[in-house]
Amino acid sequence: MKRKRSFSLTAGAVMVALIVAMCLVSFVWMPMDPEKMDTANRFALPGAQHLLGTDQFGRDVLSRIMEASRWALLVGVCSVTAGAAAGSAIGAAAAMLGGVLRSVIMRFIDGMMSFPGILLAMMLVTVLGKGILGSVLAIGIFMIPTFSRLVYSMVLENKQRLYVKAAQSYGCSRRRIVLHHMLPDMLPRLITQFSSSIGGAVLLESSLSFLGLGIQPPTPSWGMMLSEARQFVLSYPYIAVAPGVVLLITVLGFNLLGDGLNDRFVKRSSR
Amino acid sequence: MLKLLVRRLLSALAVLFVVSFITFVVLLCIPGDAAQLVLGVDATPEKVAALREAMGLNEPWYIQYLDWIGGVLRGDWGTSYVYGENVWTLLCQRLPVTFSVALLSMLIAVVLSAVLGILAALKKDSPLDILARTVMQLGGALPSFWLAMLFMLFFASYLGWFPITGYTPMSEGFGACLRSIALPSFVLAIGELGILIRIVRSSMLTALDQDFMLSARVKGLPPRAAIVRYALRSAVIAPITISGMQLAKLLGGTVIVETIFALPGIGRLMLTAVEQRDITLLQGIVLFITSMVVLVSLVTDLIVMAVNPAIRTGEEAVSR
Repeated sequence: MKRKRSFSLTAGAVMVALIVAMCLVSFVWMPMDPEKMDTANRFALPGAQHLLGTDQFGRDVLSRIMEASRWALLVGVCSVTAGAAAGSAIGAAAAMLGGVLRSVIMRFIDGMMSFPGILLAMMLVTVLGKGILGSVLAIGIFMIPTFSRLVYSMVLENKQRLYVKAAQSYGCSRRRIVLHHMLPDMLPRLITQFSSSIGGAVLLESSLSFLGLGIQPPTPSWGMMLSEARQFVLSYPYIAVAPGVVLLITVLGFNLLGDGLNDRFVKRSSR
Repeated sequence: MLKLLVRRLLSALAVLFVVSFITFVVLLCIPGDAAQLVLGVDATPEKVAALREAMGLNEPWYIQYLDWIGGVLRGDWGTSYVYGENVWTLLCQRLPVTFSVALLSMLIAVVLSAVLGILAALKKDSPLDILARTVMQLGGALPSFWLAMLFMLFFASYLGWFPITGYTPMSEGFGACLRSIALPSFVLAIGELGILIRIVRSSMLTALDQDFMLSARVKGLPPRAAIVRYALRSAVIAPITISGMQLAKLLGGTVIVETIFALPGIGRLMLTAVEQRDITLLQGIVLFITSMVVLVSLVTDLIVMAVNPAIRTGEEAVSR
């Protein structure tokens, strides 16, 4: 049977490809120097010279958006990778160990789940410090419970399967069982979660930057650009449009990609 | 039933302990000396040392934790050094603002997601379903601060329907208060829609697919009656649980709209605490909000236990 083409998958892939392409292009070409101020040209309307206009210092908005895309993707990918690695390890350990240790670990994860995202991120940034590293770590820690829970339930489910019992019977270590025998089966769901989580991470990073707790000036970030635009938004509404649209496309793209992958790989394999 | 109840209570207590522990330990790691922060950089070392002793900072960390938790249980949440007031008093002052915004936005989100989610599930793949799924995706992806700015521009500045910023307390009239929190609540509600529509739609789809719907049809019940009497009742559990959790989480998630719309709520208090490194205040806020999340999720679980006959009679819910 021919599969129906998934709209989410296509749309998500296109949006993510657009943003990644913009990020890559920024390394070889940007319309202008994103840091260069031009006070004569403050709040220029979008036009031939500045495709998306200029900000309150006369800096080219398009160039700043392009440079900021590097940091958004860097923080998104790094934080989710760190969170996924740590979270998966914790979840797998809890499921394989069993006993008191399992309850202790899972109650701990429950506790972390009780923190609203922005609250946990703000608290962690207070300790870890503002800036890129602080954001990556804070968002990475925020991602741990999601991946722990996912891997925990998958490992528990797989533990009952015959192939795991077979591996146990010929003396595989627990680590080998998880890494060599279970991981291939868990990979589709992990990749799906990875993609959706990047969307969430980019959103969280931009929220931190908006509050002045994330990426620090002069490094541009979409959240900070919007935070600066807020002071002038009533007089110059157009400066708030472009960074928001790009941010929306990024988050929506990764979310749709995650949903699309989920429809394609996870739901089919569970049937 | 009783066994289940006791187990659920114990697990809530354990999570509460974990939450308070995480909060305390994480904030203990803040670089810098708390006593120095309170007194400022000009303070003499003797004064700092004396205050350290008075604040109990020389004790081992577990004694400090027990002191703090003991105080919290007795109602003494410590004194904020920025405001010079009791943390509990500050929380009580700010809570009405945050709570009314959170409650209104959840009301909007629950009503809209129930209508959209149920109709979308009944008419799967129809234009309405596509609309619901679009709202769901946008709700999950729209940055709240951007949406807040757009709403402010259009509804407050251009149309003039709502005040641009500021909060009018309930004492100055219900209508004025409602108008001042309407826009922030809508912004938060759209974010919540992303989560809630997904849950409502998928639990409704699952319910419609169950065997009891087939037997209702076999015994000749009109579809509408079957949906209202069986499907809706079975589909309502997951959304109730999630809505409760989200309401509690919103108490800690309002910081962005409070900043943009200049509302004097808990979120702004927290931002001040983070910026000024007011550890006592931050500890208090974080503990308060996470405890609310744990308690609300306990209460919603208890409600679900009371509503769901399968759990009430002590059987495990059969889900296939």
